[in-house]
Amino acid sequence: MPDTPRIGVFICHCGTNIAGTVDVEKVAEFARSLDNVAFAETSKYACSDPGQQAIQKAVAEHRLNRIVVAACSPRMHEPTFRACLAQVDLNPFVLEMANIREGCSWVHLREPALATSKACDLVRMAAAKARLLEPLSVRKYPVKRAAMVVGGGIAGIQAALDIADTGAMVYLVERGPCLGGTMAQLNKTYPTMDCAI
Amino acid sequence: MPEDKAHFKCLRCEAEFELPYTPGKLEERECPKCESNSVRRLKTPPTGQED
Amino acid sequence: MADVGRHPNIELLTLSEVKEVSGHVGNFRVKVKRHARYVDEKECTACGDCVEVCPQVGPDEFNFGLVHRHAIYQPFPQAIPAAFVLDMETCLGNNPRACGKCAEACEKHCINLDAVDSDVEFTVGTIVIATGMEPFDPLGMTEYGYGRMKNVITAMEFERLASSGGPTGGDIRRFSDGKTPKSIAFIQCVGSRCEGPGNSYCGNICCMNTIKDTLLLKDHWPEIDVTVYYIDLRAFGKGFEEMLKRSRQLGVRYIRGIPGEVEENEDQSLTLHVENTETGLVEQHQADMVVLATGVQPRAEAHDLNKLLSLQLHPEGFLLEAHPKLQPVDSPVRGIFYAGCAEGPKDIKETVTQASAAAGRAVRLMSQGEIAADPYTVEVNEDKCKACGLCLKVCPYGAFEWEKGAKAEPIEALCAGCGTCAAECRFEAITPHQFSDAQIVAQVEASLSQDPEQKAVVFACNWCSYAAADTAGVSRFQYPANQVLIRTMCSGRVDEKFILRAFELGAPIVLVSGCHFVDCHYIDANRQTVRRVEKLWDKLESWGIRPARLQLEWISSAQGQRFQKTMEELERLRREVTPREIAHTRRILKQKLHPPKPKKQARRKGVAAHA
Ligand code: SF4
Ligand SMILES: [Zn+2]
Repeated sequence: MPDTPRIGVFICHCGTNIAGTVDVEKVAEFARSLDNVAFAETSKYACSDPGQQAIQKAVAEHRLNRIVVAACSPRMHEPTFRACLAQVDLNPFVLEMANIREGCSWVHLREPALATSKACDLVRMAAAKARLLEPLSVRKYPVKRAAMVVGGGIAGIQAALDIADTGAMVYLVERGPCLGGTMAQLNKTYPTMDCAI
Repeated sequence: MPEDKAHFKCLRCEAEFELPYTPGKLEERECPKCESNSVRRLKTPPTGQED
Repeated sequence: MADVGRHPNIELLTLSEVKEVSGHVGNFRVKVKRHARYVDEKECTACGDCVEVCPQVGPDEFNFGLVHRHAIYQPFPQAIPAAFVLDMETCLGNNPRACGKCAEACEKHCINLDAVDSDVEFTVGTIVIATGMEPFDPLGMTEYGYGRMKNVITAMEFERLASSGGPTGGDIRRFSDGKTPKSIAFIQCVGSRCEGPGNSYCGNICCMNTIKDTLLLKDHWPEIDVTVYYIDLRAFGKGFEEMLKRSRQLGVRYIRGIPGEVEENEDQSLTLHVENTETGLVEQHQADMVVLATGVQPRAEAHDLNKLLSLQLHPEGFLLEAHPKLQPVDSPVRGIFYAGCAEGPKDIKETVTQASAAAGRAVRLMSQGEIAADPYTVEVNEDKCKACGLCLKVCPYGAFEWEKGAKAEPIEALCAGCGTCAAECRFEAITPHQFSDAQIVAQVEASLSQDPEQKAVVFACNWCSYAAADTAGVSRFQYPANQVLIRTMCSGRVDEKFILRAFELGAPIVLVSGCHFVDCHYIDANRQTVRRVEKLWDKLESWGIRPARLQLEWISSAQGQRFQKTMEELERLRREVTPREIAHTRRILKQKLHPPKPKKQARRKGVAAHA
């Protein structure tokens, strides 16, 4: 994708979570004024199916090759939107998110004007980075089908059995001389009033 | 002195204080007054202090 | 428990501690220290011949020291493995051998007093942490007299007392005189929901555990008078309210008010001074026995393990999950999951539910045979590389092929993507994918393209300080809107030139933030952050720029409040920077960063003039 960047910017309302504080239409308008932004629109719930379809549709219609989603934290929905891009054969790594919810609308609830201008800044920054993004491919690692469970109380026992029953090897590491943990010391347990062991 | 100490200054609240210090060792330091980690070692300790 | 012992796919390592974990999801290499048991686990039939000859006794931990056991013992009759264990602390000693009677008594010769600790090593794809809880120790709460007064006991001691396998064979008797108490008082929330020596959170299980105990008492000893002192009764689970109702119907008295003090009477019964908040009166009540419904806290020993795995803790000391609502059993480190009370207080049903969930998450990861990892590796530009080797020196993973005089070559499989090598390289030869110099500088420039004097530029690392900003958001902690965050994977990625560029463009304040030292997700890459920031403070000062304009902060992902406070403080600092100071800085940096090269400049000027 060495061609000129054609950035699509999608600004999420997240219901009222974002739109209740940030003037998202204003942010969209601002986004359209940025270099290389070929398309910008708002979305009620960007992560919803219709929201993702709208992104995919815009990618095709406007030949977008970089995507900015201004919504929640990338720690939340970056994987969602990457998968969304992959479905339309866009490299998942040409995505940049602008965190205008956790990092903006939710923490400046009483300052809509400032929050809106900060959202614009965040979108401008995301677009600036998006312009320079390049397609990447994920790395694949082999996974050892074995697990270590640390602690031989009721939690460790249950987890170890569940994993071992799928055929994976389990190393159950317990500090003490035997299994049982705190649970084994209980006489009766609620709500069944039966013995713990 | 069991271990070396040095003078530090908090770049947030400007408090000055002594903390353990080993040359070359990178440590997590916290201002005892404001809990900031913007704690800088003063290469020339303030004059006239005794403690 | 027995199923674990029999399961062909489970290797049970008792008396064992995790000493070392390296690698990453899919391929964790683990080293475990296995302490000597001195008894052959497979051969021992738990016949008990050894116990009979053992001259030494020590407190029985399983029964909270209420009774004694021998140096060689079985923790409890149903224990798995069903083998005895020798406690060297209690034993007369093996080196030199002082006694050895047990070894002689064992017909099957399964006791080896010369056994030594061993190291066990293995590789696993995933890890489940189920280190559990420990009951709060009420010794510090002197008002209840625990430890001083014989008939004040903890809820766990009550469990042992009521158990047929316990010290009294399941008879409820007073410790002072062995008599059946005529009245028992339960005090709720001991070490929970309080300031001071206890924990601030709710212990979750103590209300229901007490209600269970009252039912047990009323079912077997209806003549015992039972009173429960409480703040709130939290019986919120399925079938719980019914249990509470039944308890009341059976005549258990519930008094809203926590005794302020317990006093011992002459006959070692107890007087409770309590403000009954329903009547508003301060009352005195008598009880033959007091049971403290002690709270739940994380195991202290678990901390070493958490450090080993770079896991983070909630302020209360329980493990921090990747997301409190959507990923409750995932740790922030991929491939590590939580089960049970290590993550927070919970009852057996919840524990089992969470353990199965953790197992499911772990299996899901392992079922594909391979997993995908972010492509956040680095590229080295051979033309720019001057073969200095600094990248290898700062890389926490040793992920470079480099020899003196040779150009550095990244080893992709080892690289975890912190990017600290790129911040170190003086020749701009290293490009981290998705976090290149150009990309980050572009963000800095964009953030300051309008009203730079209004803004503080904040570099935040993905795992801790950026996550803390998210926590602040989720918690709706409000702070001034003057900061812009730039996310990097690690604070060690932050290059001096990003910071200087921000100042050059008029930023009043720059903050570099990352994980506390113990939390660093790239072993110790954030030590480079400190080194670079300290160096830059010196440089700024020598250039006549106030070092305080560059701030440094460690904020863990749970510390939403610390993040909020930091933002407020940044705003205060930002206001102190005058337009004059900013202009001055910009002038200095223009000179320092782009020193006029007389000849070239002249030529450039010439070109410009022509154009
Ligand atoms: S993408 Fe994020 S911000 Fe938008 S609707 Fe979904 S959760 Fe809300
Ligand atoms: Zn300070």
